[in-house]
Amino acid sequence: MWKTNDPDVKRILYVQTHGEKDPERTATPFFLATAAAAMDHEVAIYFTMNGPQCLAKGNGERIIIPRKGGEGKPLKYFIDQAVDMGVRLLVCQPSLDLHGYTLDDLIEGVEMIGGAAFNAIACEADAVIAF
Amino acid sequence: MDVLKEDRVLDCSGLLCPLPVVKTSKAIKELSVGQILKMIATDPGAPPDMEAWSRQTGNELLLSTQEDGKFVFYIRRTK
Repeated sequence: MWKTNDPDVKRILYVQTHGEKDPERTATPFFLATAAAAMDHEVAIYFTMNGPQCLAKGNGERIIIPRKGGEGKPLKYFIDQAVDMGVRLLVCQPSLDLHGYTLDDLIEGVEMIGGAAFNAIACEADAVIAF
Repeated sequence: MDVLKEDRVLDCSGLLCPLPVVKTSKAIKELSVGQILKMIATDPGAPPDMEAWSRQTGNELLLSTQEDGKFVFYIRRTK
């Protein structure tokens, strides 16, 4: 599943379990993944539990990251930054079913994997960071 | 100290993490190997971030300093 074979390139997998009920917990995985990609690492984020809500069409605009004393940025800002840097976005079917989603309900470019692939990616990663 | 001569300046003043790192990553790829990027930032997280970025990407952080209250970095593209 990982694309690189270069031993100098680190592989980092982020896991996002939070969605629209917890807007303050949605941006950080994208943010850190963007920084990791800028360090020339191969990076993916796996969305499970409520995580797929972050990727539902329209939610990027709807979910606003709260910020004390100021206008918060929409989640889309962080998603676009990550995608632009080549971060891969992964989901699995059971977490989509949980929300009544199909892949068509999500933004472009999201890849479908299963539980076995997730575990393989985790075992082959240099770091797995879960939120 | 030798005077460092940059081939390109990237001003990230006012930008917060991770944007200075993202823009540096893109800018360094537009230089040739051996050329020097001067990056200017105001984010207080920039000095440790650029040190980590340099260590992980292999691009050489020649100098990390402050000028006029801003953080200034000279980075040589190494690969």
